[in-house]
Amino acid sequence: MLNDITLGQYYPGNSFLHKLDPRTKILATFFFMAAVFIAESALSYGILLAFVFIVAFMAKLPWKMLLKSIKPLWVIIILTLGIHIFTGQGEPLWQWKMFTVTREGIVLGVKMSLRLILLLLISSLLTFTTSPIVLTDGIESLLTPFKKIGVPAHELAMMMTIALRFIPTLLEETDRIMKAQSARGADFSSGNLIQRAKNMLPILIPLFISSFRRADELAMAMEARCYRGGKGRTRMHQLVYGSRDGVAACGMAVLILVLCILKWGGTLWAI
Amino acid sequence: MDSIISVQNLTHTYTDGQNNSVKALDGINLSIAPGEFVAIIGTNGSGKSTLARHFNALLTPTEGICLVNGLDTSKEENMWQVRQTVGMVFQNPDNQIVAAIVEEDVAFGLENIGVPSEQIRPRVEAALAAVNMSAYAQQAPHRLSGGQKQRIAIAGVMALEPKCIVFDEPTAMLDPKGRKEIVSTVVKLNKEKHITIVYITHKMEEAILADRIVAMEKGKIVMMGTPAEVFSQVELMNKLGLEAPLAAEVAFHLNKAGHKLPANIITHKELCKALCPSM
Repeated sequence: MLNDITLGQYYPGNSFLHKLDPRTKILATFFFMAAVFIAESALSYGILLAFVFIVAFMAKLPWKMLLKSIKPLWVIIILTLGIHIFTGQGEPLWQWKMFTVTREGIVLGVKMSLRLILLLLISSLLTFTTSPIVLTDGIESLLTPFKKIGVPAHELAMMMTIALRFIPTLLEETDRIMKAQSARGADFSSGNLIQRAKNMLPILIPLFISSFRRADELAMAMEARCYRGGKGRTRMHQLVYGSRDGVAACGMAVLILVLCILKWGGTLWAI
Repeated sequence: MDSIISVQNLTHTYTDGQNNSVKALDGINLSIAPGEFVAIIGTNGSGKSTLARHFNALLTPTEGICLVNGLDTSKEENMWQVRQTVGMVFQNPDNQIVAAIVEEDVAFGLENIGVPSEQIRPRVEAALAAVNMSAYAQQAPHRLSGGQKQRIAIAGVMALEPKCIVFDEPTAMLDPKGRKEIVSTVVKLNKEKHITIVYITHKMEEAILADRIVAMEKGKIVMMGTPAEVFSQVELMNKLGLEAPLAAEVAFHLNKAGHKLPANIITHKELCKALCPSM
């Protein structure tokens, strides 16, 4: 049952987006998020949506996957839409008892939900096209300048690497413990919620104990291989920016420029 | 010849929180020559793993000294040099692989000691080739078999180009196929790359391949010599709770029953030859 698991939601591929440096993708994601909050007019939202779809098209991702990434938050999106529609101030369009729907409310609601959808889509695009391992490298590299102010860049990356390495191992172990406990008559599938949670204890306790033992052994093995923290450490894979990353950065810059002009351009010309 | 590992009067005492102390090693004297293949045997709790952990400064002596390539392991400043000279492969293959991709794991030790990036790749490739795992460089470790994982662990140590590798029961958790893979890899490293091997094991069929066998009990060395010398003392072996190889056992009992077989029979081949010389 736990046999063939994929970590994260990486969708392997060979597209332009897959080949981009992870740092470029992470930074671009942040810039896009900022851009989402610059957007005001319908046109700028249209541009942002178009941008996301072009990028998704370039990454050659199945559309279904992209839609699925919105699924976990659809309740919040609908709620946002609803609250804005019914609480907006302005010209009433329709009224029933204490509920008033205003034009401004609808516009604001649509904008807010669009913002949420755009944020979700762009961050999913990052994780769809970047394997967790490469993502870790990118995060470490981006955080390294902040070491001076006490950001434990290497330690964070090491923790992520070890977590990625051991998630499959621990899942396998969980599977094994569940089978062993079932063989002794443990029942994991009946009873109410509290009962079921209680029934999980015979799985969790052995799992915790064995994880601590693993951690102990791993620490010793790492020490035996001269591990002494991030100091003086080199990397086999060095991240190098390529011409591709320049192209991506230009694309991002153009997008932000266009959005800025759409927002403030009018006033500039007015002066 | 200068020894690569030299242990003089080594004693190690474990102390727990309640001031109970256990003497795990008691006055050990041992020296291992470069290129030698030494097997350490003994029952559980005989102190063999504790001894091995002194060889790369994971533990330091309570009393006595342990010299690796002439460096005192108890001195902090020697620690990293010692760990590069003596690598260590542990029992559980799962718990010594750090990275989620094979080649990154092999590179781990090299990254730790600060080898420049451009030199890492050739050394990783050479190490993977030495254990016959080049084809798996891009795989995820959890998809490999136990024997393959253990070979990756060996490659991770090999990449550091150590003079000596300590194996702490490397085959205890493997199936017969994996066991064979590891044993042949170890022998190959010893014969072809002239790496000194210290091989801790419970399995006499593996110990038999060594140049020298060290048998331990209760923190002391009780027997030492070539496999033929050690294994032909079947009675003493049994008294230590160890089982001599089957051929040695058979020869011993035949001799006891009045047959006249030559001494020092420890392999099946030797036994066959002694029983049917015409074959």
